[in-house]
Amino acid sequence: MEKLISHILFIGSGVALTLQLLIGGLSMGLLLGGLFSILRYKKIATPLINRFVSVLRGTPVILQLSFIYFSTPGLVGIKLSILEAGILTFGLNSSAYIAEILRSGIESLPKGQFEASKTLQISSFYMWKDIILPQVTRNVLPSLVSEVIALLKETALIATIGGMDILRKSQTLGAEQFTYFLPLCIAGCYYYSLVLFIEYLGKKMEQRGSYA
Amino acid sequence: MLKIQNVFKKFGEIEVLKNITLEFSSNKIIGLAGPSGSGKSTLLRCLQKLEPIDSGVIECTEKTGFMFQDFQLFPHMTVLQNLTYAPTLQRKTKDTVPEALALLKTLGLKHKETVYPNKLSGGQKQRVALARSLMMHPQILLCDEPTSGLDVATVMDIVSLLKSVKDLGVTMIIASHDLDFLTKIADQIILLKNGEIVLNTDLQTLKEDPIQCLKKYY
Ligand SMILES: Nc1ncnc2c1ncn2[C@@H]1O[C@H](COP(=O)(O)OP(=O)(O)OP(=O)(O)O)[C@@H](O)[C@H]1O
Ligand SMILES: [Mg+2]
Repeated sequence: MEKLISHILFIGSGVALTLQLLIGGLSMGLLLGGLFSILRYKKIATPLINRFVSVLRGTPVILQLSFIYFSTPGLVGIKLSILEAGILTFGLNSSAYIAEILRSGIESLPKGQFEASKTLQISSFYMWKDIILPQVTRNVLPSLVSEVIALLKETALIATIGGMDILRKSQTLGAEQFTYFLPLCIAGCYYYSLVLFIEYLGKKMEQRGSYA
Repeated sequence: MLKIQNVFKKFGEIEVLKNITLEFSSNKIIGLAGPSGSGKSTLLRCLQKLEPIDSGVIECTEKTGFMFQDFQLFPHMTVLQNLTYAPTLQRKTKDTVPEALALLKTLGLKHKETVYPNKLSGGQKQRVALARSLMMHPQILLCDEPTSGLDVATVMDIVSLLKSVKDLGVTMIIASHDLDFLTKIADQIILLKNGEIVLNTDLQTLKEDPIQCLKKYY
């Protein structure tokens, strides 16, 4: 029993990194993805953004992660920490998926909402901030929640460049104990609980966002 | 002053507005009639600069407001927020609320301020859309089909409402294919057909039965 608790605590100390990666990556993904979708709607730099999004969606995340971690020192002379490389990778990668999700959301919004904003002399900045994006995010919330869950599971790839997250901690423990069964089960429980929590938050936001 | 000269507008190959020249006099209700597809909505949209014109000039020195056929209220905002959002941004003050509340009261929507648009009837949405436009203090109000989908009683309400808006000194240009409605409300009728003006007259000059007179042109 004591052993179980110490296992749980040990693996739990990896939650911090997992959450940092998730929150950091998601924030960056939302900002960039939002920016990409607005630029694309305004037809600014569209071919460039399309290519960027397509490459990010068309190559393995694990490749993107090692690329950013191992080749940035040689390319731009900056040595990124594991956390920095992770947030950058997951941020860029999720921005591509989020940009696609938002694109479909923006396209399904009636054009009249843009026109109504224009006739009421609402500037472009406020139109996107207060009229368009709130409606779009509400409409695509289920897809966004799926993306957050996918991102959470992808953060486990940080183990491949040595990040001590939930997965890596459980593997370390397994190697020490010569049995992987219990550590991996515990890691699975951590991930699954986080997923359930994200789903719960998503439901809450959906209820709050519905126009009663 | 709102004046347009030799305006042409094409969608692809179809010429929707052909050489339109008009001068709109102030503080009148101008009815824009014409069969479906004659270019009424397009003309209004061009006046509001929602649609670029191919050639010609639109001279407008006054502030215009626009009412959409399908209202285009902001669904994620309450009725009150729909009214106050844009003027608050523009005037950079919060005291747009009393004005909005007073306006809602005049329009018989006093108890609806915290309601979201999807809980309103068609006539109520129409009145909220009118109020939202009026909050911007337009001198000219462009209305596209303000009576579509409304029953006779509600149409009568809209008639008296729009007349009281005129009394505030607002010029109105109203596109509609409801001749009954237009002849009740308009001072002047402009009739479009295939993108051309076929009639531009004061309503009074039409004989006893203005609807029949207008129908001849359809
Ligand atoms: N965005 C557009 N793209 C292409 N064609 C258009 C567009 N908007 C209008 N048209 C065409 O322009 C013509 C005039 O349309 P418009 O909507 O101005 O007519 P209307 O007089 O308002 O008709 P209704 O009484 O049915 O509302 C029609 O032939 C229509 O098909
Ligand atoms: Mg029309």
